[in-house]
Amino acid sequence: MADEFDDFLAQALRPPDCGPDRIFVARVQSQIRLDEQLRAERRSMLSSLAIQVLGIAALSASVFWLLRSPEIASFAAESPAILLAALLAAFSFAVLLFSTGPSPRGPQASFSTA
Amino acid sequence: MATQNDEDFALSRRAAAGDNAAFAALVEKHERPLRAFLSRMGAAEIADDIAQEAFVKAWRAAGQYDGRARYSTWLTSIAWRCRLDELRRRPQAPPESEARPSENHGIAEVRDMLARLSENERASIVLCDGHGWTHEEAAELLGLPLGTLKSTVARAKSKCRELWNGTGNG
Repeated sequence: MADEFDDFLAQALRPPDCGPDRIFVARVQSQIRLDEQLRAERRSMLSSLAIQVLGIAALSASVFWLLRSPEIASFAAESPAILLAALLAAFSFAVLLFSTGPSPRGPQASFSTA
Repeated sequence: MATQNDEDFALSRRAAAGDNAAFAALVEKHERPLRAFLSRMGAAEIADDIAQEAFVKAWRAAGQYDGRARYSTWLTSIAWRCRLDELRRRPQAPPESEARPSENHGIAEVRDMLARLSENERASIVLCDGHGWTHEEAAELLGLPLGTLKSTVARAKSKCRELWNGTGNG
């Protein structure tokens, strides 16, 4: 049977019976928005990284394939400087293409909108 | 008639589908007890941060809540794990047993009592005697066998009663 002490303890340990703390609720919501933004940015960064890796792999494979043909191989043997210039131009074009693609916003942008 | 937990389950399903308002309703319902429990556990200054972290994790894992346990039990178990992680990262000093000048006598007395209990004793007595949890729920949260939990609660109450009697109440 509950005595005075049990009543005291239950009363003292009971959570406060008042309305929600709106400031805390707002803090949680803003934290969730920030979390969602960061996760979206991470996903976008990973997908753009995957696209870039695939692009570089495709470019390397095509260069390798071209160099295997006898005409290109003999041309390379005769004028390696022109081939090197062509390769550099192709890689520069690829780098330019990747760097001008859509880039995710930095974390500072997220904080400013949170 | 829908029970409290049916309502929470429905809100959690909506939250899992991306409904922010539904999750805000869950936060409004459960933030007071969760923060009260965490601050009773002796890390008052980081209790709100842990509660916030727990709510963010509950939002991410909303789809995993199956409605079998009460939402508050599920949420508190997330917060408990966050708290253990936090303690591993930054060990906390045991809660103060000194009364603060602004506190009334009852609050200071309870703070003093809880400060003298072990971690499990404190958690089990706060949950079972203060928050109305069943022994089974508390045992699951603390990872203790049911019998051990019951004896932990009894030991905690006995220590508190001794202190209470010692202050001239008994």
